[in-house]
Amino acid sequence: MIEHDVLVIGGGLAGMSAALHARQAGADVAMMSKVYPTRSHSAAAQGGINAALGIADSWEVHAYETVKGSDFLGDQDAIEILCSEGIQDIFTLEHHGVIFDRDDEGRIHMRGFGGTDKSRTCHVGDMTGQTILHVMYEQLLRMDVKSYDEWFVTTLLMDDGACCGAVAMEIVSGKLEVFKAKSVILCTGGCGRVYEPSTNGLIVTGDGLALAYRVGALIMDMEMVQYHPTTLPANGFLITEGARGEGAYLLNADGDRFMQNERYGATTLLEKASRDIVSRAETIEIQEGRGVDGCVLLDCRHIKDRILEAFHQIYELAQDYANVDITQEPLPIRPGMHYIMGGIKTDVDGRCYRQNGDGVEALPGLYAAGEVACVSAHGANRLGGNSLLDCVAFGRRAGAHAAEYAKSINPPNVSDQAVEIEEQKIIDIFARSTDLRAPALRLEMGEIMHQYTGVFRDEAGLLEAQRQIREVRNRYNEISVHDKGRVFNTDLLAVLELDYMLDCAETIIVSALARRESRGAHTRTDYPERDDENWIKHVVVYQTPDGPKIDYLPVTITQWQPEARKY
Amino acid sequence: MTLNLLIWRQKDAGSAGKMVPYTISNASPDMSFLEMLDMLNEDLIKKGEEAIEFDNDCREGICGMCGFVINGVAHGPRRATAACQVHMREYRDGDTITIEPWRAKAFPVIKDLVVDRSAFDRIMAAGGYISVNVGEAPDANALPIPKDDADQAMDAAVCIGCGACVAACPNASASLFVGARITQFALLSQGKPERKRRALNMVEQMDKEGFGDCSNHAECEAVCPKEISISNIAAMRREYLKAIVR
Repeated sequence: MIEHDVLVIGGGLAGMSAALHARQAGADVAMMSKVYPTRSHSAAAQGGINAALGIADSWEVHAYETVKGSDFLGDQDAIEILCSEGIQDIFTLEHHGVIFDRDDEGRIHMRGFGGTDKSRTCHVGDMTGQTILHVMYEQLLRMDVKSYDEWFVTTLLMDDGACCGAVAMEIVSGKLEVFKAKSVILCTGGCGRVYEPSTNGLIVTGDGLALAYRVGALIMDMEMVQYHPTTLPANGFLITEGARGEGAYLLNADGDRFMQNERYGATTLLEKASRDIVSRAETIEIQEGRGVDGCVLLDCRHIKDRILEAFHQIYELAQDYANVDITQEPLPIRPGMHYIMGGIKTDVDGRCYRQNGDGVEALPGLYAAGEVACVSAHGANRLGGNSLLDCVAFGRRAGAHAAEYAKSINPPNVSDQAVEIEEQKIIDIFARSTDLRAPALRLEMGEIMHQYTGVFRDEAGLLEAQRQIREVRNRYNEISVHDKGRVFNTDLLAVLELDYMLDCAETIIVSALARRESRGAHTRTDYPERDDENWIKHVVVYQTPDGPKIDYLPVTITQWQPEARKY
Repeated sequence: MTLNLLIWRQKDAGSAGKMVPYTISNASPDMSFLEMLDMLNEDLIKKGEEAIEFDNDCREGICGMCGFVINGVAHGPRRATAACQVHMREYRDGDTITIEPWRAKAFPVIKDLVVDRSAFDRIMAAGGYISVNVGEAPDANALPIPKDDADQAMDAAVCIGCGACVAACPNASASLFVGARITQFALLSQGKPERKRRALNMVEQMDKEGFGDCSNHAECEAVCPKEISISNIAAMRREYLKAIVR
């Protein structure tokens, strides 16, 4: 048995921020990741991190635009914290050595992004996530935070109603180990691989969401799945919003800038409107026959000097994976699943919650931050550049709170027996011999989710998705693995990850069925209007022996009342 | 297209490894190199053999996870790309391709093509960070950084820590990795107070880890997926020299 005060599960930006601040608060901290931490998916964030540093900008404007972007579903207390404290977080990152791009006067350069006409996105070329991740990791090395790299968590452990650790497998050896901790912070990222295609890396499999769901935590707003407007058709890779921020156009097959069409409600910001609106517009163009092989076109020709100067990565991506020189010809792109606004319900200190009778109560010892969490800073639609900020700011708060909480409690009771239960699960998987393999079933799940729970949804489709996903869940128990060794068995990991992803798929579908209106990223063709009278509330789902149960929580409104959303 | 593959198989760190021949008959020129390996693995699994382990994650040249030596060249034939960015259109029907893990004493093999790169971490832990207390941070814009300095520091900071530089070097030297890290910090105002101690500690840790010395072959620069220049090694030497002579 391994013991620490605070166990951070996940080594991306939120996990690193949580680990760093828990350590700074004096706790004995371990950070665990199923990959080497700097390979975490935060590294793929290209565009940048938002902070109202500009002279003509303020955190209040940033907060208002985030609320509006969220289609008034975001909790405004959380958004105020994100936008006001986030500024200090950017300064700290800069002082720790993040080389933000500078303008000619030597100030931090800020680029335009979606959902605003301000330039507010600090960036490091188009590899912002990666550079911040590397600098954060340097700080963890400096602070001597214990890092368990390439460990995979199979279950959370509970003692007397409180979370007290986890069982994890060391991937290199296959050995299972009990980790005892006074508090656990889940920072495992989203669940992009539940969809096919997705912009997310292969490791983004909703592990933490499912782990929390299984110990009774409330999962909130899972129907809010963001489709990013510009992804490559070949493999789902993402082309940063920064390209549109710099002035790139979206064209349909007729060569028209279709965002100028009044029906899309974005005649001012056009291509820079928020992601839900642009993705919907693109989908309508394609569905109505004005697409090009299932795509629309991203035209960067008139900004080619900027592309070559500051967007080298997307220039290379387009060249390598679409064989298009974006300085010479328009690039075919389409909306692709990118992010989940929903997640484990937390308060602004990262604490998780569970159902208690008719109300909710804190789930002691369990915290979450980053994409896995739903605080909710993003509501029904996240603005580009706010996710890295969410990771840094709410990771920091969760880390600090979890460290204080750990100081206040006695060591929990944990037994080594938990290993035997987990070991048996693996033995059972090894014992099966069928032809059914995890990757094939994952693909099936991903395609079901994309077809029925994508940009447009309706009740019939969602019920069909539910039926099909249940059928996939039944067949899951027939999966077998060929590799029955214990050293670096990625075959086995794929089976365990699929188990988590199926839980995520279930919560997405039941939540989407519950919300009978259209808001943000959730468009119900059978309920096409936003319904503020009945639906300014969060959908929460929790696990019971009889399956998922739905409930609702109020939205926190501080200073911005819902209003019509035009860009 | 049909390809003859010679791939390093090694059960675990303690076992001896060897090159094992495989033939793949249905590769397409549009596949990426890793997709080709995925396909080979599917075939192996169907035949009841053990799949080949290789590190990978983002598959778009960002994360630094993948990497192996393809036909003797770290990350394969294309300049300024990681192995995941290589496509099979680089090869012709009937070609033989050898695939080996990074070879360096300081990077022991874990399994097949997966190596242990934690030595890089220990070098970074020896001083590859900024630890001056920034206190109540003033506006980051109060201390403007010339755009040229920021750009130059960024040219070094693009390192993704993949380790190809070590694998390509005849001496298995980590000088390009360490040089880039030292230069990056030395250029920043917030990195300057610790520059001597940093250079000293990181270079010494690199030696302790068993990496070789640099003898200016420039193989590292040639394979670096991020095109980091060996001028960073010269800069590292200057920093180190300044640190030891005080």
